Amino acid sequence: MARNEKKEKKGTQITLKEIKRQWFLMLVAAVVVIYGIIFYYWPLTGWIMAFEQYKPKTGLLHSKFIGLDKFRFLFEDDVFVKTIRNTFAMGVINLVSTTIMAVLFAIILNEVRRAWVKKPIQTISYLPHFLSWIVVTSILHVSLSPTGIINDLLLRFGFIKQAINFFAFPKYFWPIVAFANCWKETGWNAIIYLAAITAIDPALYEAASIDGADRLQKIRYITFPGIKPTFLILLLMNVGNVLNAGFEVQYLLGNGLVQSVSQTIDIYVLKWGISQNDFSLGTAAGLFKSAVSIAIIVIANSIAKRYSEQRLF
Amino acid sequence: MNQKEYRVSKPISDVIFEIVVVIFLTTFVIVTLYPVINTVALSFNDGIDAVRGGIYLWPRKLSMKNYKTVFAMQNIWVGAKVTVARTVLATLTSLFANALLAFVVSRKRFLFKSQLSLFWVITMYVNGGMIPVFLLYKNLGLTGTFHVYWIPGMISAFNMLVMRTYMEGIPESLEESAQLDGAGYFTIFKDIISPLCKPVYATIALFIAVWQWNSWFDAMLYNRMKTEYTTLQYELMKLLSSVMQQSGSAENAKNGAATITPITIRSAVTVATMLPIICLYPFLQRYFVTGLTIGGVKE
Amino acid sequence: MKFKKITALLLSFAMMGTLLVGCGNNAGGAAPATGATSDGGSATTDAAPGEVTEFTMFITMPGSEINDDNEIAQMIADKWGVKVKETWLTGQTASEATGTLVAGGEYPDFIDSDEMNQLVDADALIPLDDYIDQYPEFRDLWFTPEEWEKFRQPDGHIYWINPFGNTLGETKQTTHNDEAFWIQVRVLEWAGYPKIQTMDEYFKLLEDYIAANPTMDDGTENMAYTILCEDWRYFCLENAGQFLAGYPNDGSVIVNKSNMTIEDYNTSEDTKLYLKKLNEEYNKGFVDPESFTQTYDEYIAKLSTGRVLGMVDQWWDFAYTVNDSFKQSGLDLKGCNYVPLGLTTKAGMENRWHTYDDTVNQASGIAITKDCKDPDKAFKFLVDCAMDQELHDLRWWGVKGVDYDVDADGLYFRTDEQRQNWADTTYQAAHRCQYSYFPQWHGTSRDGKNANKPEEQPSEFMNDMAAPLKACFDAYGYTTYPQFIGSVVETNGPWFPMYSYSNNFTTETPGGVAWAKMGECKHENLPKVVMAKDFDKGWEEYMAAYKACKPEDFLAEMQEILDTFK
Repeated sequence: MARNEKKEKKGTQITLKEIKRQWFLMLVAAVVVIYGIIFYYWPLTGWIMAFEQYKPKTGLLHSKFIGLDKFRFLFEDDVFVKTIRNTFAMGVINLVSTTIMAVLFAIILNEVRRAWVKKPIQTISYLPHFLSWIVVTSILHVSLSPTGIINDLLLRFGFIKQAINFFAFPKYFWPIVAFANCWKETGWNAIIYLAAITAIDPALYEAASIDGADRLQKIRYITFPGIKPTFLILLLMNVGNVLNAGFEVQYLLGNGLVQSVSQTIDIYVLKWGISQNDFSLGTAAGLFKSAVSIAIIVIANSIAKRYSEQRLF
Repeated sequence: MNQKEYRVSKPISDVIFEIVVVIFLTTFVIVTLYPVINTVALSFNDGIDAVRGGIYLWPRKLSMKNYKTVFAMQNIWVGAKVTVARTVLATLTSLFANALLAFVVSRKRFLFKSQLSLFWVITMYVNGGMIPVFLLYKNLGLTGTFHVYWIPGMISAFNMLVMRTYMEGIPESLEESAQLDGAGYFTIFKDIISPLCKPVYATIALFIAVWQWNSWFDAMLYNRMKTEYTTLQYELMKLLSSVMQQSGSAENAKNGAATITPITIRSAVTVATMLPIICLYPFLQRYFVTGLTIGGVKE
Repeated sequence: MKFKKITALLLSFAMMGTLLVGCGNNAGGAAPATGATSDGGSATTDAAPGEVTEFTMFITMPGSEINDDNEIAQMIADKWGVKVKETWLTGQTASEATGTLVAGGEYPDFIDSDEMNQLVDADALIPLDDYIDQYPEFRDLWFTPEEWEKFRQPDGHIYWINPFGNTLGETKQTTHNDEAFWIQVRVLEWAGYPKIQTMDEYFKLLEDYIAANPTMDDGTENMAYTILCEDWRYFCLENAGQFLAGYPNDGSVIVNKSNMTIEDYNTSEDTKLYLKKLNEEYNKGFVDPESFTQTYDEYIAKLSTGRVLGMVDQWWDFAYTVNDSFKQSGLDLKGCNYVPLGLTTKAGMENRWHTYDDTVNQASGIAITKDCKDPDKAFKFLVDCAMDQELHDLRWWGVKGVDYDVDADGLYFRTDEQRQNWADTTYQAAHRCQYSYFPQWHGTSRDGKNANKPEEQPSEFMNDMAAPLKACFDAYGYTTYPQFIGSVVETNGPWFPMYSYSNNFTTETPGGVAWAKMGECKHENLPKVVMAKDFDKGWEEYMAAYKACKPEDFLAEMQEILDTFK
């Protein structure tokens, strides 16, 4: 398992011999780079749209150039600034909660030794992934309504005196969204961790048992280090996505009363872009999100490089 | 994974631990299973009756009509064929492409390792928008064809990075000893690394397959008028879309009032979507449930 | 070894893909125009014999597709030589869908989009003026010259025709398809069918009924009043003020006809009174506490239990689903059906909740694109849809003897079985073909007896009524829903409805920005006002937030539009 990266880094230098030796790797790299340029980088020419009043008819090259007008429109609107806060907050809360749940679930499931228990549980766990948001949110809405099961339970056990209309108060909205995300994706996200756990050498557990380690200790000293690389890589990848906190959940669960905390960037763009097929506004917001994501990723990556062996690039 | 011999000397902390595990998993299973059961129950319920709400674990007024409606859709079988074809083709090509790329960037000696990773990491966070992509596919002649389903998404940075992480965990000594035997990089990829990567290959294959299986947006966007390339999910989405009038307005709804899809049909559609994946999963599951032993080689 | 197999498999799949493409490529170019060229001027509806032309059509609304071998579609094709393959909006917004069409530069033969201007901008549509003049009968019957003018674009051409909302002959309108305060007939029955004119009387009645009947027969608690507030459906809360003041549904503003000025109903005294009343009822506990958080599904479920006594809504938004559910659960026999009331703030005022005229929305309609295979034949079919009664009956009533029968007086009727079939989705896909975005009529058929739309046929309407509802109609001596409202009969101004203009506002103008912001502001603040412990304070806060949206910019632009009608 152990790697010694620092030594390696110095080791390889660009020499003709090395290039010859790596011809196969070079070839693959060249092909995929060409592929990537065509399918991922070429469409970025669309970013020009953010700086013009794009009309589909005139196309990218001939639409009216308006400079930073769209960005000005976005950042001069208090509502947009608020949506950035909402998006960011929900992005972070969702990331933290779904990651913790997925890791926890994967580790706990791994502790189950009986296959006839383990297999069905795992199958059940990822089923909600296939439910669409509209189904999940409608169930959640019914459960959390003043006459729903949650209020019923809380009342019965005396936690509250009067039914709470959870959707009427901004303070409940972010936790509800986080719960919905965990509900839907925990099992699915755990699949990667379960795959990572399989890579751990069983001999390590055996040795630990002989040394008298209990199960918590085994998790702490064997399982967790085993999935740490995967955990870090996924975390790194996902921190770049915090501004993509989504659209559907918030849209389906939100209402006028909580709109100040439920609106995300995507909803904002849809609402403003929809009335006037404003592709430029959406592109400007997208450009902003990309810039923030890449900044976050670069920072996170350098932190990761300093404190661990994992990095994205 | 044989734990029996250690049972004898089970520490007290393990007993507590096991109780916690049981409680956690029981709660988890109940909470997770509920929405699924609710959906199944609704899918077997009469449509008009379900409007009243209050259906939880069991249908109130049993009816098979929802499924009849779903499966009576004319293009659904065309869509099913296309979907199976694209899922199989794209899973194979995409798994191969991502695995090969992951292999390349996980080679410690590779000269452009970092640059190539960065090149792909960026693709996860940037996107030119729907229209430039549409124009690109059109100019490449992909619109209105089957190829639009498997060529554009073949390499995904996410999948590649997950595999890279896994491959980096494989001891380097394996590669080195193979190289001493004169093996080239492709041989190492094929004969040394790939067999050890079965769990992660299975994971990624599952991700790709599910993604492909559930795709409908590409069918709608690029093959809207081509019924021969419709996909299963697109056909199902057509049933669903009438309830998701996100762009709705009173003026529109007034004229289209008759086309609201009942919640029961939505549920039947959902169940129909889940079934094949549920059937497929147990075959992949053995890769997650039993671990592999990485040779005898240790560093 | 395994690896080789996989590679081979990959290759064969790639080959298969190539083959598939090979077959697909010529599909688009097929079916060139057949012999049916324009025969100039004649508006005859005789079928041009010859091949069937298959047109494609894209509609930026969700809808249900019909099968390729749909029976009525085939009958239409046999007789009129045209088959239309309709494709509906799925999972995108109308503007995205239209935007990608324009960017790609390839269009279906027909299109009906919410984004017509975008298509005109892109030169995607063909001008219809000449075609319209070729069919003078259609031209004169379908719209008045003033109405046609409303469709004329700045470049002087007409590009689309609104297919809806036209009445032929005597009106057969039995339903009130618009907004109203609705009330269950059991409440009216309990009170001895009183005449309710104001909001105060309305809520008084609901309160009294609740006091006397806290629960339904099965023990379910009655609920006096609920408000649907989800997303765009918040009109159920938002615009009652204009009606209560006695104005018609201009939607976004009030038009003061006496001096031709635009007025804002959001700040009006009547709206304040309306919200104050709601606030009072809310604090007394008569308004559903879930009002502002419920989803549409939950709202419909709530109504379907029969426990809600009243609400504001538009008929089409609840009645179809809820009435079906009542019928199934037998609640219609307990008097749970709703009838509309034309309330005003003060007694004795005129009301305009009901609009008798046809409402022509000039913002959208059916258009023929420049990619159309055969524009002459396409337009002729469009005219046929409006002008040929046989075709119209086939679309809306179905096949005689199969979907409807004719009685001794020549009146069409459906048996229960026929009605069920007609409403069945599977049957619809295989048999029914309405071409619902092609021109269509309300009112009376050319035979002078039957209704153009089955739901307006008096026998169909009456046969459908449960006993308590019938009793209510009889008690008041009414035969149609609009009679319950009792709106003033008058012709609306040519600007009506003003919402057809404000719906097209864009954020490129200050008025458009203000309009969008006003919507956001009302969405958040109206519920707060209703829920406020102290109404006056809540109202003031709302007004402050509302003023910050600069409604004056919006009103000024609306005034400019109204001025063009002076």
